[in-house]
Amino acid sequence: MRKMSLVLSVLVILSLLFSFSLVWAQEGASELEIKTADAAFEAADKGNPDPAWKGQKLTIGVYSAGPRGAISGPLYFWRPYFEKLTGATYDIVEIPFAELREKIFTDLMTGTGTYDIIVGPSWFYGDYISNDWIVPSDKYLNDPRMPKWEPASILPPLQELYSWGGKWVGFNNDHDGQVLYYRRDILNDPKWQEEFKKETGKDMPVPPKTWDEVYEITKFFHGKDWNGDGEPDYGITMHLKVAGQGFFHFMALSAPYVVAPAPGDDPNKVTRYHNVYWFDPETMEPLVNTPGFVEALNMLLKLSKTGPSAMWGWSLGEAWDAFLRGKAVICFSWGDVGSLSQLPDQSSIKGKLGVAPIPGSEKYYDLETKQWVEKRNFVANTVGASWHGVISKFSKNQDLAAYFLSWQATPPINHWNVVWGWTGVDPGTLYDLLQPTGKSTIEEYVATGYEAEDAKQFVNAYEEMWYKYPLKQSYLRIPGTPEMWEIWDIHLSEAVTGQVTPEEALNRTAEDWNAIIDRLGREQLKKIYQEAIGYKPE
Amino acid sequence: MKREKGNVFVIPAIIWIFTFTIFPLVYSFRVSISRISYGKITGFAGLSNYVRMFGDYRFWGTLRFTLIFVSISVVATTFLGLGLALVFNRKMRGLKVFRSLLTMPLFTAPVALGYLGVMMFYEENGPVNVLLKYLGMGKVPWLSHPWWATLAVCMVDVWQWTPFAFIILLAGLQSISDEIYEAAVIDTSSGWTVFRYVTLPLISPVLGTVLMLRLVDAFKIFDVPFSLTSGGPGTATRTLTFYIYTQGLRNFDLGYASAMAYFLLAITMMIGMLFFRRYRELYE
Repeated sequence: MRKMSLVLSVLVILSLLFSFSLVWAQEGASELEIKTADAAFEAADKGNPDPAWKGQKLTIGVYSAGPRGAISGPLYFWRPYFEKLTGATYDIVEIPFAELREKIFTDLMTGTGTYDIIVGPSWFYGDYISNDWIVPSDKYLNDPRMPKWEPASILPPLQELYSWGGKWVGFNNDHDGQVLYYRRDILNDPKWQEEFKKETGKDMPVPPKTWDEVYEITKFFHGKDWNGDGEPDYGITMHLKVAGQGFFHFMALSAPYVVAPAPGDDPNKVTRYHNVYWFDPETMEPLVNTPGFVEALNMLLKLSKTGPSAMWGWSLGEAWDAFLRGKAVICFSWGDVGSLSQLPDQSSIKGKLGVAPIPGSEKYYDLETKQWVEKRNFVANTVGASWHGVISKFSKNQDLAAYFLSWQATPPINHWNVVWGWTGVDPGTLYDLLQPTGKSTIEEYVATGYEAEDAKQFVNAYEEMWYKYPLKQSYLRIPGTPEMWEIWDIHLSEAVTGQVTPEEALNRTAEDWNAIIDRLGREQLKKIYQEAIGYKPE
Repeated sequence: MKREKGNVFVIPAIIWIFTFTIFPLVYSFRVSISRISYGKITGFAGLSNYVRMFGDYRFWGTLRFTLIFVSISVVATTFLGLGLALVFNRKMRGLKVFRSLLTMPLFTAPVALGYLGVMMFYEENGPVNVLLKYLGMGKVPWLSHPWWATLAVCMVDVWQWTPFAFIILLAGLQSISDEIYEAAVIDTSSGWTVFRYVTLPLISPVLGTVLMLRLVDAFKIFDVPFSLTSGGPGTATRTLTFYIYTQGLRNFDLGYASAMAYFLLAITMMIGMLFFRRYRELYE
């Protein structure tokens, strides 16, 4: 009897703690957040939830950042709303970035079905699809029980990340691509422009259009006390720690040096030598050690010397923080920086934010002629995770999982997640872009605390990159991608910390990638790669 | 008949050994000579995983770092532990409090110490660099420079394991009777001579135990570099265990990971065998 009462007491305490955690998750929210979230909840389509779902429970595996952190945060925030809607609930299993692959793939490989939903990165698709591990979202698009979301609203380069072979697989959530952030107040300051001209003999290019221009600016500002705090400040800030997602910087930076436009009428045509970034589509030989990449890595090294040496040990948070608290004049990163810059508790640069599309290069390497072409080149990117939900094939609650993900994908809820910086959900749909291209208005952003000019710069930079840039960098979605990127990450870190030369780092990457390709099957990967980038052998 | 009945009680131990020692050992050896795809054995690989290991520069890099780490960490913990034990092996006020405080890091999870290290060694105004600045020294790139990162990993490990060496060696020192010292003092007034010819030989078995346990444990280091540096910059602080984990559980290249794990097992077993050969008389 005593044992029984002890067990009951423990259960009561645990359930109380659990209930409090729900309240705490909501308690971290401001009144404005709650008010706007309530409005979004009312406005969102709710479909027709099945009464049989009442009392059921899902488990969601998600990148770990806590109840008020990126990507995992919105799951905590919206849980009480979901319970209100369906009578069902879900557990959130947070998985650290470095352990995502082992936890998720092991679950799928063994068919355990721990996670009904996986809110994971887009680079898992090669393994998801080739192993038939997930249930496509296509199946639910016309299901009357499901809330209506708008796949067509997702901007075209990002649509590719959510689909496979022309079918929708994932559910709309986050949209990643890197753009350039700079201090508008400092770069536009006549005093600094005059100083720049005196020192370099040139006008300061504002905003910088190419990586060479970025370097000129960061080199000029690095070590000067341009923010007036009595200490020298930085030119640039990046996250370059191994396993700190720093390799995405290099991906975005290297694209214009590597991706060459096709000759003829259609510059976007994918040929063996044009509009390819990862591999030679005929041989699956890695391109990662070709001259374009080497040139780009040398540029990354030059840039990294115009920032704090500490950033070689920084992950995302530290690098963003240096820019947000006004210590670095430039950074290039995801949409998070744009929205976080508007949060007074995390940023001192609200009203001072300048944003430009990702810079281009002054030249690019032509793989066909094996020569450099001295011409400016601009390439849009979708680098990053574009974190979004997929349904595990081993889930026993697939319909309920689809309901939750469809509801989160509806324009009002998704757009709410986008405008609040702490959610880590970045813009990438028509209803995030400003009119006339998009459906949103500047007033919508201002109503949630944005400074108008900052919001305009932020959203328009993405619009320009994804709509007006002539070329785009392909995304890698073949089996083995996570392993290849991890290896790349390590070798890039070796290069930036001076352990090996850039050439050696990239040669090592190519060698390791070749070993993976041979291990997983070169012919099979080649076929998937060709399909993924739209290459048709002639 | 009585003896036969008594043998029944050995069965749980046999089951335990077979389930948790023999079976995993045999199974992992089978995995190490197999071809694996997404966790499933798809064919026989022979010794190719072992051959691959010897031609893999990353394997040699991680082994090199492991050996550097083991050398620094084991020597430092043993010396510091012995030094502290000698200091605390005397009657003084507040001894119990000091001893308790000294042993605290030992009871902390290594991964937590690693994350604590991230804060301590933070280059931009972290406590260690602030202290160095206060002492008039420059900023040290603890986590972003290969050699400093190596030192940071060693320092966190030493921080954790010095109390272990301290406790064991203190117990060894306290087991030496006062009469022996009293007799030694008649012959010499040199503290060093007493330590060299009396204390050291008498605590030699304890010292050997500390060295062996630390060596075996240091070869298996994983948590600290995992949480403190993620094995970086580059692969500067990637240990052999970290590499085995990466290959086996992240890349699902289980055959290769098992082969490397066998190599590590061979190293640690050799250390154990050397130790038992040296101190055989103590255990027989």
